[in-house]
Amino acid sequence: MKILIIIPAYNEQDSIFNVIQDIEKFCPYADKIVINDASTDRTKEILETYKIDYLDLPVNLGIGGGVQTGYIYAYENGYDIAIQMDGDGQHCASELYKILVPIQEDMADIVIGSRFIENKGFQSTFMRRIGIGILSKMVYICTGKKIKDVTSGFRAVNRKFIKIFSKEYAQDYPEPEAIIVASKYNGRIKEIPVVMCERNNGKSSISPIRSCYYMIKVSLAIILQKLAKMER
Amino acid sequence: MYQINNYLRGFILFIIICYFIYIISLLKRKKLELKYSLLWIFSGLVMLVLVIFPDIFIYSAKFIGIEVASNGLFAVFIFLLIIILISLTVIISSDSAKIKILVQKIAIMEKRIRELEDK
Repeated sequence: MKILIIIPAYNEQDSIFNVIQDIEKFCPYADKIVINDASTDRTKEILETYKIDYLDLPVNLGIGGGVQTGYIYAYENGYDIAIQMDGDGQHCASELYKILVPIQEDMADIVIGSRFIENKGFQSTFMRRIGIGILSKMVYICTGKKIKDVTSGFRAVNRKFIKIFSKEYAQDYPEPEAIIVASKYNGRIKEIPVVMCERNNGKSSISPIRSCYYMIKVSLAIILQKLAKMER
Repeated sequence: MYQINNYLRGFILFIIICYFIYIISLLKRKKLELKYSLLWIFSGLVMLVLVIFPDIFIYSAKFIGIEVASNGLFAVFIFLLIIILISLTVIISSDSAKIKILVQKIAIMEKRIRELEDK
């Protein structure tokens, strides 16, 4: 099976190389592609120097558009499994097999690596956990699926959903919405406990000021996705 | 009763004509696409009809219970403006969706070019 690891990166010059090295160490069998989302720092130079495969977005699309580019690439190049993983060192390559195996064994269409099942490792701040809890409830109301870590960007997806996500993926803050999309297409979603690290460098894309906007936007998106008719 | 000053009507008529000349010149210079100009032309026509036949508006305002006709006028134009603004947001949204797809395609093609050059 062809496996692709999609790593969205925006200004990750300090962490991207370590992330790639970890992947090479723990998952040498997988291909990897970094999505350089118009970084303004030296991210691209680093990718070029170390001959890491990358896609270079000419303008900044944000995490959703970036990850989707990875899914399009995975679809066009015939990958069977795509794994998305942050470029900031938050997700550990050593944990990757945990979310990969259920897909390989065809136990699920989408596997989400979750911090909140065994509550090990970095647990995020209190306020954020509350926000995630609310979103998780909303996802449950809309889809009937109990997923605790709805904002986790550590995911594995099979060919069927590579195709779906290459066509339909939210632009900003896409993680909870992707779950709704997946359930719309009757995806089998599985949440697997993983250990996450505090990001090595850089800040979360969600600053405290934007949290409010984030909550409203995602809540609205969840409701809308529920209402929207299936496109195809 | 309402009586609109004819000088005022003439002045407003003049402004509306200028407005049409401006839109047409934008269209001629291709600064404005025809399909997006329709809403503006339509609202211009509404203004024109109201200036030439103000009675229509005064009576219909009275009919639906608006005491002062000018308030009705404001309401109508605020409504028209909201429609135009929403249509602009729709246009922007569809453009940004198109731009997203273009950016993604370019990125994937750029990678292929790099690979071909390396061979």
